[in-house]
Amino acid sequence: MRDPRAFSCATILALLGLAVMLYGQGAAPGSPLIILTRDGRTPLPTTLVAGQEMVALDDLAGPFKIAIREDSVANAVRVTYKDKSILLTPDQTLASVGGRLVSLPAPLTRVGRRPSTSSGRPEPAEGRYLVPVEFINRAFALIYEEPIELRKASRLLIVGTLKVPRVEVHYEPLGNDLRVVFDMAPTFAHAIIQEQRRLLIRFDSDALDASIPLPPAQTVLAGVLVLDRSTIELDLGQRFASYRSSIPSSTPASSRIVVDLLSSVPETTTAPAPSPPPSAGESLATLAAPHPAIATIVIDPGHGGDDAGTRGPTGVQEKDVTLSVARHLKTAIEGRYGIRVLQTRDDDRRMGPDERAAYANNNKADLFISLHANASPQPDVKGAEVFYLGLDKYADQARRQAQLDGAVLPVFGGGTRQIDLVLWDLAQAKYVEQSTVLARLVESHLRSKVDVSPLGIQQGPMRVLVGVNMSAVLIEMGYLTNRGQEQALASGAYQESIVQAVTNAVAPFREYLEHGSDESVTEGAPPATATSGR
Amino acid sequence: MMTRRAALGYSALAAAGLGMVWVLFVLIPRWSVQDSGAPVAQAAPGETATRKITAHLFFVAEDGLHLAAVEREIPYGEGTVEQATRIIEAQLEPAPAPYTSSIPSGTRLHGLFVSSLGEAFVDLSSEVSSAHPGGSLNELFTVYTIVDTLTTNLPAIMAVQVLIDGKEVDTLAGHVDLRRPLQENTRWVASTETEAKP
Repeated sequence: MRDPRAFSCATILALLGLAVMLYGQGAAPGSPLIILTRDGRTPLPTTLVAGQEMVALDDLAGPFKIAIREDSVANAVRVTYKDKSILLTPDQTLASVGGRLVSLPAPLTRVGRRPSTSSGRPEPAEGRYLVPVEFINRAFALIYEEPIELRKASRLLIVGTLKVPRVEVHYEPLGNDLRVVFDMAPTFAHAIIQEQRRLLIRFDSDALDASIPLPPAQTVLAGVLVLDRSTIELDLGQRFASYRSSIPSSTPASSRIVVDLLSSVPETTTAPAPSPPPSAGESLATLAAPHPAIATIVIDPGHGGDDAGTRGPTGVQEKDVTLSVARHLKTAIEGRYGIRVLQTRDDDRRMGPDERAAYANNNKADLFISLHANASPQPDVKGAEVFYLGLDKYADQARRQAQLDGAVLPVFGGGTRQIDLVLWDLAQAKYVEQSTVLARLVESHLRSKVDVSPLGIQQGPMRVLVGVNMSAVLIEMGYLTNRGQEQALASGAYQESIVQAVTNAVAPFREYLEHGSDESVTEGAPPATATSGR
Repeated sequence: MMTRRAALGYSALAAAGLGMVWVLFVLIPRWSVQDSGAPVAQAAPGETATRKITAHLFFVAEDGLHLAAVEREIPYGEGTVEQATRIIEAQLEPAPAPYTSSIPSGTRLHGLFVSSLGEAFVDLSSEVSSAHPGGSLNELFTVYTIVDTLTTNLPAIMAVQVLIDGKEVDTLAGHVDLRRPLQENTRWVASTETEAKP
């Protein structure tokens, strides 16, 4: 590296990366475990006894609110949480959890002096009982109200239903380019965002259990670090020109994200490194597809301004939910696919349906996604629904007539030319077939993430869809009138599930547009018909 | 000077002209409405003032995902317009248990007329929009309750457009296009009672 300042930066970042790696992998047993809860991190000291990592019951008492009592009759120690207890016997590698025996790698051990009292009974405060750390996940987890996961290698004790993916990073040099591979388990949604000289990989996580080795010597990546609980930052090197990302494999259990950092060095740009083989479903996003089937997507957060839309029982407003989801969705789609994404509104203002359609048409969007939240007089109704345009016989006749009529205009130099006219308020008619496919894909991806109403996909004369000159759907993300769904719709987790589902539907729809068919679309029942006119 | 005979001739011609105007603009339209406006449901026996017909009204079913067609006795109306008015008035009344009305309470019928093409225009008070709780499905239920309750009970009505305070509107709550008359759509009707239509 010729620039000394760059070298210094790279060295610092590399040391930071090393620190993060050591932090993530923890390495040395004896360094404290980190209790990870929704409220934050708490260190839990451990001790090595005859090669076995042990934890003091006293140290568990605070974080987990347990009571520890010696049972002199049974010659045992009783650990109680609420109305449940565990019986531990010194010198035995077993714990009795509600009558069920659980094996431990080491017995209960007492350390410290046991003073005598007037009664001759021990005083536990003066001594400490140690149990193997496996006691926590093997025995204590059985009586605790929240799930507990011990990751010894990462020095993490995860309490509660937190999303903490393991992310292992490794590198593959490709000439002057560099491939950075992220192996994630289990799979959570992610987005890739470029901000000037850094690339942010954002995960839908509460914390990251990351293993990040030092990058090899090259010129496109200066360093890697965990930025916060959900973001890994790639600091881009001086020769970085662009990137492309792909997801070669993805299952709920694990997935692989590949990010190729492309160098600006001429030989690399003229002969770029081979990209990973395309995969079905969620494939990739290159920044420079020559003629992309989807170049622009318009997201339409429903309602706004003095039109709040529907309201939940505790006052959550539809217009706020739709705007929040729209912003996240824009970030996710841009990050994953490199597609231009626009919003009809990015603030709290009223917009008419024609204004929304005009915005999409004038920006020559290829996809229009209108976001809404539903309402029902029955408070138990719940689930997402996807709508696409359904025209009845009246509107269809008007559409046909408009196509037949056209317009004959004089042409410079003599003669005339037939011009097709599309009625503004019937522009969607010729995209109904494509919109049907889009609706099915969105519904199917929603079904894998959130509750979907039994009605699922529906067709109707939806006002905002009528005038858009592109494939279009309206998504009702859930019922705000359902108390549980109101809370969910206002929560980041549910919104993120919606974002992930819709983002996932973009890739197969693009496949459909480019190749005319998609297996996931052509299978299954024909589209629901909404118009039953006479 | 006009002779007396000529004056009588002109008077006879004028009387014949007035007669033709009456036939063309009063008698024929009245016949037309009476012919096409016969309600489907059978009229209950009794005098016109107390006669009833059985009509299907639509309410949100208990599952909240469908409309239920409910039979109800409603006053007999002379001709399509009057009968349609009676049906809409009945539809605006509270729903019988265990159903829920899809039309906001307080909504009133200002007027109703039927075009020569069989398009009914139902003019409702502003509560149908201002008190509407929103939601696509909810709004579809409201709109197709009004559309289907007329089209399924009165064969002379081919399509229905909802007006508010006498004016055309875009939507009730931002979702369903109301700028043109809508045809019958029983997709959301759970009961099979309404599907068998003469």
